Amino acid sequence: MEQAGLSTVTLSPIPDLTASVGAPRVAAIGYPLGRSFGQPGDAEGQSAVLRAALRTVETAQRPGAVIDLPFDWPETPSQVKASSTANPPIATLLKRRPWLLPKLLSRNPPN
Amino acid sequence: MNKIDSYRFLGPVTAKLVRRWIDREPLREIPWTPLRKPLNESTVSMLSTAGLALAGDRPFDQDGERRDPWWGDPSFRVIPRDTAEDDVRVYHLHVDTRHTEQDLNCTLPLTRLRELELAGEIGRSAPSHFSIMGYLLDPTEMLERSIPEIILRMRAEQVDVVLLAPF
Repeated sequence: MEQAGLSTVTLSPIPDLTASVGAPRVAAIGYPLGRSFGQPGDAEGQSAVLRAALRTVETAQRPGAVIDLPFDWPETPSQVKASSTANPPIATLLKRRPWLLPKLLSRNPPN
Repeated sequence: MNKIDSYRFLGPVTAKLVRRWIDREPLREIPWTPLRKPLNESTVSMLSTAGLALAGDRPFDQDGERRDPWWGDPSFRVIPRDTAEDDVRVYHLHVDTRHTEQDLNCTLPLTRLRELELAGEIGRSAPSHFSIMGYLLDPTEMLERSIPEIILRMRAEQVDVVLLAPF
């Protein structure tokens, strides 16, 4: 995208991963996955995150800049993890065949 | 300001995956296009990895992933700027989708972006916003087919700034 003349910013809840793939500008957000802009119904909070993420396009000065956004999530990590309902097929498969986990770690699927 | 902890909300297996995947990434040259105009004159488009599609559009292929859990749908969908939030579906099996189903703005803040446009903080919200589905162990097809098409559309709509929003 940058090569096509577009200026990008990534709002990332896992900034270490986003930075590792060479994202030009990263706005790091300390929120759980699946709600990077904030809580449902919290228009004000969502706007604040959106505004801060976009401003990063103006403030980031060098390729690979990671800028931490100053927002705190109201729940603890254990509250967030306890309430998650996601159940990916790969997790079910690995419960049955745990010896395949290295294939996932190396992103090298079995044939 | 404290450093954001990438692993704070991740379970142990996901955290291990992320660490391993980071270790595998080579150092690379980072592409860079300087912002050409101020934000309040820029056209902004968003790209979410949540697997969002219009209710009447083709869903992301979740049955395919259930048949082969190593596979993910590499296609993309367009979400027009004035889409009613209730007309968007979420097709992602790896992240809790309930919050986004309740309020699309948690993930793709179409309404919030239009408000910034109205307030004059951005030039405009682009006619099109986009979604892919982020569970792609092998991103080759997404990168070679979906992204170039998305870029063509963005350029045709004179987009200046792209906000990428991993789910």
